[in-house]
Amino acid sequence: MTPAISVRGLRKAYGRNEVLRGVSFDVAPSEVLCVLGPSGSGKSTLLKCLNLLETPTSGSVVVGGVTLTDPKVDIDAARARIGMVFQHFNLFGHRTVLDNITLALRHVKRIDKAEAVEIARTQLARLGLGHLAGSRPANLSGGQQQRVAIARSLAMRPEVMLFDEVTSALDPELVKDVLAVMRELAGSGMTMVVVTHEVGFAREAADRVIFMDQGVVAEDGRAKDVLDAPTSPRFREFLSQVL
Amino acid sequence: MQDFFHTFFDWSEIAGVLPSLLREGLRNTLLIAVLAIMFGLVVGVLLAVPLLSDNLLVRLPARVYVDVFRGLPAIVTVSLVGLGLPAAGIRPFGRSPLGYAVVAVGLISAAYCAEIFRAGIQAVPAGQMQAGRSLGMSHLTTMRLVIVPQGIRNVLPALTGQFIVDIKESSLVYLLGLGLGQRELYFIAQERQATSYNASALVAAGLCYLSITIPLTYLVNWMDRRMRHGPRAADVGVVDVRRESALAEEQA
Repeated sequence: MTPAISVRGLRKAYGRNEVLRGVSFDVAPSEVLCVLGPSGSGKSTLLKCLNLLETPTSGSVVVGGVTLTDPKVDIDAARARIGMVFQHFNLFGHRTVLDNITLALRHVKRIDKAEAVEIARTQLARLGLGHLAGSRPANLSGGQQQRVAIARSLAMRPEVMLFDEVTSALDPELVKDVLAVMRELAGSGMTMVVVTHEVGFAREAADRVIFMDQGVVAEDGRAKDVLDAPTSPRFREFLSQVL
Repeated sequence: MQDFFHTFFDWSEIAGVLPSLLREGLRNTLLIAVLAIMFGLVVGVLLAVPLLSDNLLVRLPARVYVDVFRGLPAIVTVSLVGLGLPAAGIRPFGRSPLGYAVVAVGLISAAYCAEIFRAGIQAVPAGQMQAGRSLGMSHLTTMRLVIVPQGIRNVLPALTGQFIVDIKESSLVYLLGLGLGQRELYFIAQERQATSYNASALVAAGLCYLSITIPLTYLVNWMDRRMRHGPRAADVGVVDVRRESALAEEQA
């Protein structure tokens, strides 16, 4: 089976500071991959290289058979098939919840307004957010904003979803709503790469876990195996600190 | 005390000068100011684009323009444009000083507007661009639909300040000498003061300026508040939320 995502020899440097120092892995279709690691280990940079929000210094990234690192590729078209959810939600503050979702449908997918609204309403309803369609993002709780952000990505019908520490900016009591949405998404067969501190989520929802340390993959294996019996000392130390 | 009052608030002086202030002066002041503001906005936008570039060579000419026109005293710029250009044989506006005043004040305004736009755009969080790009929108589309609309909101109060400066600087056209029918507020008042040695005409002109600038400030503040918090006549309004909330509660 061809992988949904294939990363080979990925390097990223900011000036002399090498954040990623040769990262390679595949993600199978419908696989849920959690990326764990201490701050500064390069996991967020890695995720942003997967849709080229960060341009890798070298190496290749292939998503859905399209080589994103090929300079000739239409990156906007490629990104339209890769959903991304951010730590700070990044909802468009000047637009209503509904407009947030229809914007890319209309201006990227060229779907007409009525149909875009229909898609958006369906997506919102599915996540239990239908009553918020007319609200401004600023009037929503963090948990609601993050679920709207997920709805905005899902409305584009992406082939893979990238999650960048999506619960880190949330109050503890709001985390579970967002994780519930992600768990359901994982159950529905979505290919997901999840950068997270939530070891609990990794344990119950991830198929596979990668542990990043100092810009390289320090551990890579089935979620249950590596979380219960980590082989690298750094991962063992990390787990003992977060648990 | 009697002298003081007589010098600044001589009602017969004010009543004498007021008709020409309102009929001729206000019209010409507004004409210069509005055209200069429009000139400044258009050129300011055109300058803000290169100012936002990551490329130093693209940025540099705009940067130099902004630094020069913000750094020169307005009176020097108005003289250079209004006295210098015609003397050099460049007379796009013939002998009418108003056109030169519009260009001079507009050139200065453009430098400030460019900086205001640049700052407003850069104040929009980087995550907004990332979110737009991650959805497959191009840089330009994201700029147009996400960044600029939010930048405009950041910019409104600072722009008002600039508009007020432009209105006030329109008075510098007096340097160029004005014929009958071309006179703006300050020129009329200053002519009157020169013959009567009484400052009441200047007070009257000042009140005319304030009658433009102060309401403008409050108008923009009101627009600013509306943009930030008020209802927007979009396809989905506040009413819709209430209705849907009510429906949701009924179902629960």
